[in-house]
Amino acid sequence: MKYRLKKVAVLGSGLMGSGIACHLANVGMEVLLLDIVPAGADKDQVSRNHLADTALQTAIKSKPAPLYHKSFASRIKAGNFEDDFKKISEVDWIIEVVVERLDIKKQILEKVDQFRKKGSLVSSNTSSIPIQLLAEDRSEDFKKHFCGTHFFNPARYLRLLEVIPTAETAAELTEFFMEFGKITLGKQTVLCKDTPAFIGNRIGVMSGTEITLLTEKYNFKIEEVDAMTGSLIGRPNTASFRLQDLVGLDTGDNVSRFVMNNVEGDAYIDALKNRPEPKFMRFLLDNKFLGNKTGKGFYEKTKEKDAEGKTKINALNLETLTYEPAIRPKIELVKTAKGMSLMDKRMQYLVEGDSKEHHFFKDYFGALLGYAAARVPEISDQYFPIDDAMRTGYVWDFGPFEYWDLIGLERGIELIKAQKGQIPQWVADLQAAGGTSFYKFENGHKKYFNIQTKKYEPLLGTESLIILDTYREQTPVLKNSECTVHDIGEGVLCLEFTSKSNSIGEGIGKGLHEIIELAEQGDWKGLVIGNNAKQFSVGANLMNIGMFAMQKQFDVLERFVDDFQQINMKIRTSKIPVVVATQGYVFGGGCEISMHCDAGIYAAESYIGLVEVGVGLLPGGGGTKEFALRASDDFFEGDVQNPTLINYFKSIATASVSTSAYEAYDLGYLKKDRDFVCVNTPMNIGRAKDKVLELAKNYMPPSSRTDIQVLGRGGMSVLYSAINEFRLGEYMSDYDVEIARKIAYVICGGDLTAPQKVSEQYLLDIEREGFMSLLGNQKTLDRIQYLLMNNKPLRN
Amino acid sequence: MEAYIIQGYRSAVGKAKKGGFKNYRSDDLAVQVIQHLMKAVPQIDPKQVDDVIVGCANPEGEQGLQVGRLISARALGKEVAGITINRYCASGLEAIAQAVGKIKAGFGHIYVAGGVESMSMLPMTGYKLAPSYKANLENINYHVSMGHTAEAVAGKYGIGREAADQFSYESHKKAAEAIDSGAFKEQIVPVSVEEVFVVDGKRKTKTHKVATDEGVRRDTTVEGLSKLRAVFKKGGVVTAGNASQTSDGAAFTLVVSEALVKELKLEPIARLAACAVGGVDPLYMGIGPCVAIPKALKQAGLKLNDIEQTELNEAFAVQALAVIQETGLNPETVNVNGGAIALGHPLGCTGAKLSIQLLNEMKKRNQHYGMVTACVGGGQGIAGIFERL
Repeated sequence: MKYRLKKVAVLGSGLMGSGIACHLANVGMEVLLLDIVPAGADKDQVSRNHLADTALQTAIKSKPAPLYHKSFASRIKAGNFEDDFKKISEVDWIIEVVVERLDIKKQILEKVDQFRKKGSLVSSNTSSIPIQLLAEDRSEDFKKHFCGTHFFNPARYLRLLEVIPTAETAAELTEFFMEFGKITLGKQTVLCKDTPAFIGNRIGVMSGTEITLLTEKYNFKIEEVDAMTGSLIGRPNTASFRLQDLVGLDTGDNVSRFVMNNVEGDAYIDALKNRPEPKFMRFLLDNKFLGNKTGKGFYEKTKEKDAEGKTKINALNLETLTYEPAIRPKIELVKTAKGMSLMDKRMQYLVEGDSKEHHFFKDYFGALLGYAAARVPEISDQYFPIDDAMRTGYVWDFGPFEYWDLIGLERGIELIKAQKGQIPQWVADLQAAGGTSFYKFENGHKKYFNIQTKKYEPLLGTESLIILDTYREQTPVLKNSECTVHDIGEGVLCLEFTSKSNSIGEGIGKGLHEIIELAEQGDWKGLVIGNNAKQFSVGANLMNIGMFAMQKQFDVLERFVDDFQQINMKIRTSKIPVVVATQGYVFGGGCEISMHCDAGIYAAESYIGLVEVGVGLLPGGGGTKEFALRASDDFFEGDVQNPTLINYFKSIATASVSTSAYEAYDLGYLKKDRDFVCVNTPMNIGRAKDKVLELAKNYMPPSSRTDIQVLGRGGMSVLYSAINEFRLGEYMSDYDVEIARKIAYVICGGDLTAPQKVSEQYLLDIEREGFMSLLGNQKTLDRIQYLLMNNKPLRN
Repeated sequence: MEAYIIQGYRSAVGKAKKGGFKNYRSDDLAVQVIQHLMKAVPQIDPKQVDDVIVGCANPEGEQGLQVGRLISARALGKEVAGITINRYCASGLEAIAQAVGKIKAGFGHIYVAGGVESMSMLPMTGYKLAPSYKANLENINYHVSMGHTAEAVAGKYGIGREAADQFSYESHKKAAEAIDSGAFKEQIVPVSVEEVFVVDGKRKTKTHKVATDEGVRRDTTVEGLSKLRAVFKKGGVVTAGNASQTSDGAAFTLVVSEALVKELKLEPIARLAACAVGGVDPLYMGIGPCVAIPKALKQAGLKLNDIEQTELNEAFAVQALAVIQETGLNPETVNVNGGAIALGHPLGCTGAKLSIQLLNEMKKRNQHYGMVTACVGGGQGIAGIFERL
């Protein structure tokens, strides 16, 4: 049976419920969000819907935004359990997110059983109650269509969706949710067993507990441990203690306790029960210092500001249990390890050595790897779902077995043994089968070791993804220091940026130029520009630009800018279709490249912007020209034009970055009918390839334009007035005004005395002039230098 | 020959974009107010009116196509002429002054003068903001937005956030008391608004009556006002709470020559004894009344102390406070029934509306001299002095 979901009811409007409701609205579902009628409510609807209503409004206003676009809020209707419950007979999927109490959940589900239409899907978002218990006493049809679907908060941003079938869940339903969660909801679905805390939180609890215990054991300051367990090992900079503050210590404690009280045959947890709880944990919990929500936890935000105007932060001294000004730890090991850009080298270094920091890492990874290995097959029949869960639910760059691969199989086993841990049989099987790693790339596939068949097999669920790593063993079609071009099959090429932070320099320009010529002459269908990195591109290589500018090598720079403009024009007018696939930052030059493609597949989580003014420049690779062109295309007979012009101008002049791909349509970076949003980030290259094939069927390249309507002085004047308001409001410095006026000049086609039609090349010429003149200004050089050194913009 | 104000009426002031007139055209509103006005003076045959002078700050879109002419024809008959005039926020008072001037020049005997504005329907800057390139090179502040002028005035005259919020709070308090005591009741023409909307897929018609000013926030507190964010400037003082409200409204007066007053035995209520305008630096637009007030006093041969009551348009609290501070107006005599911060500011209508409010309140208090003054976008001020008869 094929399930088709459009309408969904979310029962319970708490933080999680409203977050889930928003994400389901993000993908176009019609959402009914219900909660209880508040005690003492009046008879009117407003009062009776108060709980769900306010929860929704609060969610919509919260940051980071739970919705891709604020207009999507209209897809959610709030209601209450009493007046609107019968409406669940109209929905295709009912998801229960009420308070974590078995009796209440069962009560609600009984009502669901009574009102739902047969065949509709029901799931629970519980994080702690066994799914099996929730299915008890329900009808046959209910049981068949019921499972756990566990989202992580915030539902839009954390990609993990744990799917937990019961023994009675129809197999095709489980299959459906695994697929639907991935394709439609954009999640990494992970198949879980109905074990306490499932996969993500089970491993998460152990990892957090171990770090806390090791902090005590080695007498570290919390700032030191956060410095060691954040980006250093590929985790968010909230690291360990800041993360506990963010989540809330009580919430964390509840989950830990739940795991402790409910797991069976878990040696680590059993041992934990006999270990005394660190006194600082008790201190924080007893005093209700629960983290950010109570103003303090491990850290405390003071009301004082330092010399730079930043809020002073205190940190808990774990021995004295007093708050002291937080330090910026200077740890030799951290410094050395950060110098190692290859993660395997770095990880191997961390677990080799005799300092107390080294011991911390040896203990931690020994415990983590041993624990994760011992949980297979208890919590998952295979090990790869554990990695999937930790990467997408806890935003680790690497799951336990991926860390293990980085450290090395043998070394990992030693670490586990040093912790008196057991090596499970399946790991021995892997070794016996000649395996030296948990994952490997072979014949265009990423493979894992199937512990049942005892063979390496392609990873399940990655068929629809194009993972560029899998092409590394084949000879690239083209390769230079900044990019690699892969043959991704069916006559389609993919140009991958490989420079630092995917910044754009001459290598990428050259690579694009060569591959387009090659493709045009050869038997290629077209080109995808895309990569699997977190950030599509941070923009042009500022280091080079800054260096040449400081050496006053302006002829070199002008040639570079000219080349970049020409390559973008080539992307557009070449005889093959070029389609971009983006995710993460799509900044500056990266944005200019993508705007010149014939189509784009943008992951919903793409943050797009022409941010050049931040470094005292204007978009010089055709970006400003492109906005003049797009404004011109938006003008219509009888249009007053100026408001359209102002909107495009503002995006560049205020360096606006979209908070999602959908928002980028409003800002002018994306065009309807040409650019498409892809909710599942890892699928973007695959979809871009499909788009190339579709366009290639009857491809006719666009011509270079000569009909761009620019407004000249009339346009400049209205932009000057707009700039003046920014200056008066102190949102722009005097130098910002100078830059903004240059942008106004370019986007209006110069100080022409009347509106007229001009060519793309004319606009590119004045754009380049403007860019070069700004580069000649010391204030721009100061901005570039400051950004490179401090990683934040200078307002001069 | 002297000119007299015989009577004046206004509509209630609606909240722009959410109030009772949000879908009601200002020309329709004007027709109702003018017809009500003429009925109150049955001695005059509407067809005898020499001209209808309509102030309007955004005479385009729904208020375009020579809206003054359309209003005269529909309200009084096609034989009666009409004109649209524009001096932004002073337009309504300017219309009365022009009527008086025409009568004094002997160009006519009977004028309907006032103003209209639908801020629901028209954007503040008009549909096409298109400043002059040359003017912008000469002085970028010719076209500066009103909010920024208020910040400039606050900075220059040292008006702080606290004072501005306190002033706004009092405006609301006074306005609420005025409405509750029925102070405006007689001057307001109730208007019934018919609306046809699709509700649950069906067309539905409903009618509601608008007879009370809508802007007052009775639950406003100084503390609540102090929490609002500055809108125009980083760390600035001007917020949505201490600026005038955008509004919809219409207000008109009947101005008649001395000769006809005698002939028809009309009972005039007042005369416009003086009316002056003057210019200031556009960036400090809000201080405009400071140049207009002394000129008007001189014309009337009066001193500031002679003015018993003043309607000072509250474009912004900071601007009103700066004007009070710089002119030495007695705050006790200013905006006794609250101002535009609480009651709204329907641009082109405001001058006429404030004149009508002033004349009614002067009657109640048995006062002789009162003043209406306002700052005007582009850097101007207007002041009109009324003598009650």
